[in-house]
Amino acid sequence: MPIDSYRHLDFATRQIIKAWVQREASSPRAIPWVPMAKPLAESTVALVSTAGVARLDDVAFDEEGERRNPWWGDPSYRLIPHDTTEHDVKLHHLHIDRRFGSADLDVVLPMRRLRELAIDGFIGRAAEIHYSLMGYQLRPQVLEQETAPAIAREMRARGVDAAALVPA
Amino acid sequence: MGLVQRVLEAQGIATVSLSMIPAFTRAAGVPRLGGIPYPMSRPMGQPGDAPGQRAVLRALLGVLDSARAPDTYVELPFVWPETPAQARKGAEVHPPITQLLARKPWLLARLYAGDIPDEV
Repeated sequence: MPIDSYRHLDFATRQIIKAWVQREASSPRAIPWVPMAKPLAESTVALVSTAGVARLDDVAFDEEGERRNPWWGDPSYRLIPHDTTEHDVKLHHLHIDRRFGSADLDVVLPMRRLRELAIDGFIGRAAEIHYSLMGYQLRPQVLEQETAPAIAREMRARGVDAAALVPA
Repeated sequence: MGLVQRVLEAQGIATVSLSMIPAFTRAAGVPRLGGIPYPMSRPMGQPGDAPGQRAVLRALLGVLDSARAPDTYVELPFVWPETPAQARKGAEVHPPITQLLARKPWLLARLYAGDIPDEV
């Protein structure tokens, strides 16, 4: 049976997302594509989490700004070194149940699992740096025009071949 | 997230997204997508379930190798063991927008329409 995208959503969220999907469908865009330059087993892989993960020794995502203006979400990003654990971070996404990722960071940013897959030889190498955003972006202009290109530059500078994006 | 994926791919990084709402992510127009029927907040599975998380990540990354054209969508072969009501039980989620809309319900129309105000 195909996945029901709306099964776990409350009624209001379901209606809002359905309306958004309909609007997107009415203006289809060309989909970017680059083939894998080498097999996965030889590729360096980085992760991107939208859970708003920030290290405690880094600048926090701006939760207060969103509380002042609930239409706004912090569009910046954070670098997360691969050996960062749940003890070193806070999750700042106010639209998710943060208890799960706070108890086990791999629930939202599976860096330990990625290293295990590198040891197994399933991927070539796990990147040393991963990335986190805060996924609540109703007006995503800054995210699209500044944040995402900056992440792409960071990845290219560090020799990343492929990225997996994990929502929250 | 689909937007970020599109930018990374356009800048030369091969990308794959996981999504619990694949209809939503796919509508953004993404190159490779793995759908999973897990609840929000637990994309990789339960805390402490390393084998389960590893299986999800392995299946997701596998899409990088198997996809041959943009808009590849794969339904990953996982099942969440709870009903939506069970998965939501005791949830601690308090987005500021929900509190605002409780005070000013007429603003919900702006959210439906995608007509997002600059400020409150």
